[in-house]
Amino acid sequence: MASVLADKYCSKSLRGILMDGECGPGHEYNYQPLNNSFTVPPGIDPHHFVSPFMSDSSDCKIKFNHGTTTLAFKFQHGVIVAVDSRATAGSYIASQTVKKVIEINPYLLGTMAGGAADCAYWERQLSFECRIYELRNKERISVAAASKLLANMVSYYKGYGLSMGTMICGWDKKGPGIYYVDTDGNRFTNNIFSVGSGSTYAYGVIDSTYKWSMSIEEARELGKRAIYHATYRDSYSGGVVNLYHVQEDGWTKVSQTDVKSLHYQYEEEKNKEIINNEEL
Amino acid sequence: MECLIGMKFDGFSLIAHDNSAGRSVLVMKQNQDKIFHLGDHLAMVVCGDTGDTVYFGEFIQKNLAYYRIKNGYSLSPSAAVNYTRHEMAKRLRQAPNLVNLIMTGYDESTKQTSLYFMDYLGTLADVPFAAHGYGSYFALSTLDRYHRSNMSKEEAEGLLLKCILEVQKRLVINLPSFSFYFVDENGVSSKRTVKTEPAKVVGESTGEQQSEEMDVFV
Amino acid sequence: MANPFEYNGSAVVGMIGSGCVAIAADRRLGIQGQTIATTFDKIYPMNESLYIGFYGLATDALTVSSRLKYQLNLYQLRENRQIKPKAFMHMTSNLLYSKRFGYYFVEPVIAGLDPVTKDPYIATMDLIGCPMETKDFVVVGTCSEQLYGMCESLWKPDLEPEDLFETISQALMNAVDRDALSGWGAIVHVIEKDKVTTRTLKARMD
Repeated sequence: MASVLADKYCSKSLRGILMDGECGPGHEYNYQPLNNSFTVPPGIDPHHFVSPFMSDSSDCKIKFNHGTTTLAFKFQHGVIVAVDSRATAGSYIASQTVKKVIEINPYLLGTMAGGAADCAYWERQLSFECRIYELRNKERISVAAASKLLANMVSYYKGYGLSMGTMICGWDKKGPGIYYVDTDGNRFTNNIFSVGSGSTYAYGVIDSTYKWSMSIEEARELGKRAIYHATYRDSYSGGVVNLYHVQEDGWTKVSQTDVKSLHYQYEEEKNKEIINNEEL
Repeated sequence: MECLIGMKFDGFSLIAHDNSAGRSVLVMKQNQDKIFHLGDHLAMVVCGDTGDTVYFGEFIQKNLAYYRIKNGYSLSPSAAVNYTRHEMAKRLRQAPNLVNLIMTGYDESTKQTSLYFMDYLGTLADVPFAAHGYGSYFALSTLDRYHRSNMSKEEAEGLLLKCILEVQKRLVINLPSFSFYFVDENGVSSKRTVKTEPAKVVGESTGEQQSEEMDVFV
Repeated sequence: MANPFEYNGSAVVGMIGSGCVAIAADRRLGIQGQTIATTFDKIYPMNESLYIGFYGLATDALTVSSRLKYQLNLYQLRENRQIKPKAFMHMTSNLLYSKRFGYYFVEPVIAGLDPVTKDPYIATMDLIGCPMETKDFVVVGTCSEQLYGMCESLWKPDLEPEDLFETISQALMNAVDRDALSGWGAIVHVIEKDKVTTRTLKARMD
């Protein structure tokens, strides 16, 4: 099996179909799109061609949806995945109802930060690869392997202007798993991740409360709360909190809560707390 | 690079600053004071361009002292902060002056505590809590989550520590030492400093289970 | 700092009703994407029936509002009468033009009733003081396109104070809900000949 995949992702001979050997980045582990249909500017090194559109100082910078807060953490009862739902184009709120959790298969979730199209396309491609793996191997792919597939696919296009920061979350033989994968070529695993413009705010809430031994209720509440606090402070995050929980038997969508109702609920709880303290 | 944190409660306030000073990639000292005592019940913490912070801080401090000597009474916290804003806004259109600050005071006549956020442009806001610098990206949500107006001084100190720990845990920049002060009807308290061990490795100290990087094709 | 007008984020609307005017603004103070305060006032009372609200750089809004209040106090002491909204508009325009070559980055909205005739008045101007007076509504803000859309569809002539309040509130709230840089609550002043009603709105906080 290893050799089949290795052939698929390492073959230098196939790369020539996509583009001239000179213009691709010289990576050993490369991904080949199935239909070979990505058109690249003819006669130009694509890497060089896109660079003026990627720089912050450029007048004609390609604008991606950067505003997002997504988070995922492992705990004793699995993985909690929580995301906001806002899409912005500059300061304009293009949508408040974006689905930023991509359901790869019943055991794997991917989150969406950065370019929406990039995340959606590559995670769809990943879901295809995972299914092929399952059919060939008669067992499910591990979270580690799935995330590595994605990392290999996108790192082939490093420098071409892809923009994606994703967390691949799931459950395999080793238990709960989270891998952070981005288009710079990073891929790591850890207990807690948060990605996007509001991620620092989410970390601020998670880190102060997080325990491995949390109950399911506590963990779900923490995920929801962390996203809410991020939407409050970060302009580019908002809408609803979509909350998923991955357990041994796959993921379930737990809730979808408007942050407006969360805000007033938390505010009421805060006021009650203050009044109770004063009575004591 | 630097970090200021301030919070207001019923009857007292708490302001903190990190203790690092340096230039470029170099840390020169880790016990720098960034507070200016502006009166018996008024103080501000500053950060920004080195030189500008000291010059501007002392300018405000000395002019408020001059006002006190000339008139025999001090400016109220709100008058002092508006004077400071005026000076800041004036400099904005003369020479660039990069100073961010948090000012807090206890008004003896109205028995009110006030806390003000001000940036280098002269943007002034009266807030329950505030933070400056990259640390604000981590501290503000912690404050949003746990700040209650009726906290005791011990609880307030605990909250500050939570914020500092979070900044030290997540911020790439190393801020190992913070000093803080209480301001209440008795004036500005003496300095207290918290130093923490080098930050623990992010996220891995709390979990019992940590999956190792595995070979993909196993 | 690319655009000073989009640094702090704001939205201000003024509307004329029947014998009344309303002025409303959001309450966010931000520094680009980061929200600093959600109880920040952008509308300043100049006298009992005259208000001014600012869109743009918060520091300049504070500076201009206090300089206007200072000039206005001198005017009202000198003349021993309340200023007419139109005269105040010219005062504002002159102040802004006095900084023609180093502008204040603000666009004001002025709303008030004439102290004698009680005629409603609204106006706005650009950052160097070119006035624009209208008979229906004026909008400024990081979401001015959204505000224009809302006001064009909701505003009707001769709204009574309560209906005017509902109209201006709906226009503002629904506009800022499509803008990342403004919102986080709103405040509405409805100015009538014998009273001013000030209300804060329960809004989305994201």
